[in-house]
Amino acid sequence: MIRQVRVAQSGMAGDQMSNAMILLIVLGLGAVGYFLGRRRALAKVGGDPRGLHSLPRYYGANVAMNAVVPALVLLVGWLIIQPIVINSAVSGMIPESAVSEGSSISLLMSDVRRVADGLDAAVSQGVMTEAEALRLDEDAVKEALAGVGVALGADVTAETLAAAQRYREMAGTGNVLKAIVIIGAALIGFAVAFGRTTPDFRARNVVERGVMMVLIAAASIAILTTLGIVLSLIFNTVEFFRLYPASQFFFSLSWNPSFSGRGGGSELGILPLLWGTLYISFIALLVAVPIGLFAAIYLSEYASKSVRSVAKPLLELLAGIPTIVYGLFALLTVGPLLVQVFGDDGALGVDWMQGGTAVMTAGLVMGIMLIPFVSSLSDDIINAVPQAMRDGSLGLGATHSETVRQVILPAALPGIVGAILLAASRAIGETMIVVLGAGAAARLSMNPFDAMTTVTAKIVSQLTGDSDFASPEALVAFALGISLFVITLGLNVIAMMIVRKYREQYE
Amino acid sequence: MEDMIQMDRAMSTQQDIKIRANGVQVYYGENHAIKDVSVEIQDKTVTAFIGPSGCGKSTFLRCINRMNDTIDICRVTGDIRIDDEDIYDPRVDPVQLRAKVGMVFQKPNPFPKSIYDNVAYGPKIHGLAASKADLDEIVEKALRRGAIWDEVKDRLHAPGTGLSGGQQQRLCIARAIATEPEVLLMDEPCSALDPIATAQVEELIDELRQNYSVVIVTHSMQQAARVSQRTAFFHLGNLVEYADTDKIFTNPEDPRTESYISGRIG
Ligand SMILES: Nc1ncnc2c1ncn2[C@@H]1O[C@H](COP(=O)(O)OP(=O)(O)OP(=O)(O)O)[C@@H](O)[C@H]1O
Ligand SMILES: [Mg+2]
Repeated sequence: MIRQVRVAQSGMAGDQMSNAMILLIVLGLGAVGYFLGRRRALAKVGGDPRGLHSLPRYYGANVAMNAVVPALVLLVGWLIIQPIVINSAVSGMIPESAVSEGSSISLLMSDVRRVADGLDAAVSQGVMTEAEALRLDEDAVKEALAGVGVALGADVTAETLAAAQRYREMAGTGNVLKAIVIIGAALIGFAVAFGRTTPDFRARNVVERGVMMVLIAAASIAILTTLGIVLSLIFNTVEFFRLYPASQFFFSLSWNPSFSGRGGGSELGILPLLWGTLYISFIALLVAVPIGLFAAIYLSEYASKSVRSVAKPLLELLAGIPTIVYGLFALLTVGPLLVQVFGDDGALGVDWMQGGTAVMTAGLVMGIMLIPFVSSLSDDIINAVPQAMRDGSLGLGATHSETVRQVILPAALPGIVGAILLAASRAIGETMIVVLGAGAAARLSMNPFDAMTTVTAKIVSQLTGDSDFASPEALVAFALGISLFVITLGLNVIAMMIVRKYREQYE
Repeated sequence: MEDMIQMDRAMSTQQDIKIRANGVQVYYGENHAIKDVSVEIQDKTVTAFIGPSGCGKSTFLRCINRMNDTIDICRVTGDIRIDDEDIYDPRVDPVQLRAKVGMVFQKPNPFPKSIYDNVAYGPKIHGLAASKADLDEIVEKALRRGAIWDEVKDRLHAPGTGLSGGQQQRLCIARAIATEPEVLLMDEPCSALDPIATAQVEELIDELRQNYSVVIVTHSMQQAARVSQRTAFFHLGNLVEYADTDKIFTNPEDPRTESYISGRIG
């Protein structure tokens, strides 16, 4: 899988020059179009912009937009579709018999692409001429390509070489066609818009619509990517459940993947991981919620302006620390410290804690990480409670803390609950701190000083190292990911609903 | 007849002075909002503050229960005494003071709690009710005096914020009188009310006068004339004229007062 990605990248690097050239030409056409369109509009009314429907720059922008946008859309589409078309055409060429035992057509195709790219590289580096490349036979290929730094694993068969040659040929024609079509599209757009530049043409409205289209496109890309991620999660999860029973995944009480043999013998129950996740998040919230909330109350209700102006940015600085640093802090400072207190020969002499990595370690550090998150959200929410509420309460002879407890907090409560749920969903998704602070043992235990592990930490460990991406041991990561996604999504939705309801109260 | 009015006057001037302000200055940062105001407010009297917008009526009112303490940039100097006790003395607890000097704000500000809890808030904080039945009674009495009982008696546990603006204002009045203050400060209490509710509130104010000292800020000359016995006219932070209400409205001394009440400034 990884090998394929690398090949695709080097393939793109080869085309990059021409793609960049096309892009430059299109943008150049756009720039020229802007000035020509503007000039033409002005010329039509004898240099007096009042005779135009729109300001001259809108006519320029209209020409530029028509030249650039459709061409760029085409370019992107072409870049996506061309490899797919060539791939299917070339793989159709390879006979069924050429696919050896234990291999697959997609593996063979990646060899074909490697050979093709190697030949391209050889020609562009001047090691051989184009004519030589075309005449090369399968025995010489491996040597020739090694000379340009492309190492091939297996021997190149005649079929592979033929397919590679075909691949190169098609890619070559494709690239020429691409340049023609895209620059042509830019020219056509240019010409049409330029021709429509008359004083009555409503360039301003057209540009407005164009701007809207661009914004819509940006929004849809964001949404579509999310959708794509979710779909790929679902797809892989379904694949996983085909290899491993869903009931065991959801209800088995043990997590015990085996890496030696393919499948079989692995126990992949989510419950121990979920338990670790929830336990650690719970401790984190136990730390973060009171401290964050009290800090927010102090900052928004009691602190003077000068204290606030120093303390608030300082607190928010905590939010800027990368989580890996918190992880180090957990591993190197908090863990050993806790062992000194709760471990064997510890200050309390209780021997509850075996090693530095534990639910408690990760939970405490994660709590510290969440403090600024809780406090800055709560601070905003408390500040949104109208001053008139405070005046009303103080005017009745309530003290400051009575006012906070009985009027401000109840008024802000829904918002604060929303903030806490958001913090919880962050705690559940947190990875680095638990990888370093909580240990790697999946166990269902009540003791907070035991090492446990979480869903996120296991996703990392299932996918790192030498694993086969088609095995249930690797695919389980997707099932874990989607379970996590559903949980945090649910929390976020509830939080958002609560926050929105709270907003309505004062609007 | 003439004699009776004379006697009435004499009696009213002999009444006890509840609040005595002397040389009060208020600054909001650099802005000098109240300039050397001295005034004596009588017990068992309704005193009206009138004047154009921004002249400092609310600011002066807020000095009397030290609500200005809650504004960072606000600075008050001078001397204000209630029952001959300096309320700006460091030994005075502003929280205790505010229990004694209630306030109704310019904009209705019910808490996001039930109607019942809004009114019960003050009595609960100050421990005025010995039992639940006691508290119920206090709440009902306050709501009745606030002229809103009939409208809310069936939904005491609905949120106070769900009432109409005028109902909210009367709820706030009920809330303020539930703590039995000695002085009631009302900042334009009727600006959101319809004529019927206004009449009810004015009736309430008149009734409160039996026991309390009431200070009311109003933009309505008619209201000032109807409910108050004494009127103070503020202009640009100065107390221009302070006298019996009849005198202010029939025979003002200062030309600025005259032009304001006849509608030429403001
Ligand atoms: N919180 C505050 N911060 C700064 N300046 C203020 C504040 N409140 C009032 N002021 C200023 O003090 C002056 C008097 O304001 P105040 O609210 O007392 O006027 P007012 O007579 O009550 O007016 P209105 O009839 O419109 O309510 C104004 O110039 C105002 O800008
Ligand atoms: Mg005011």
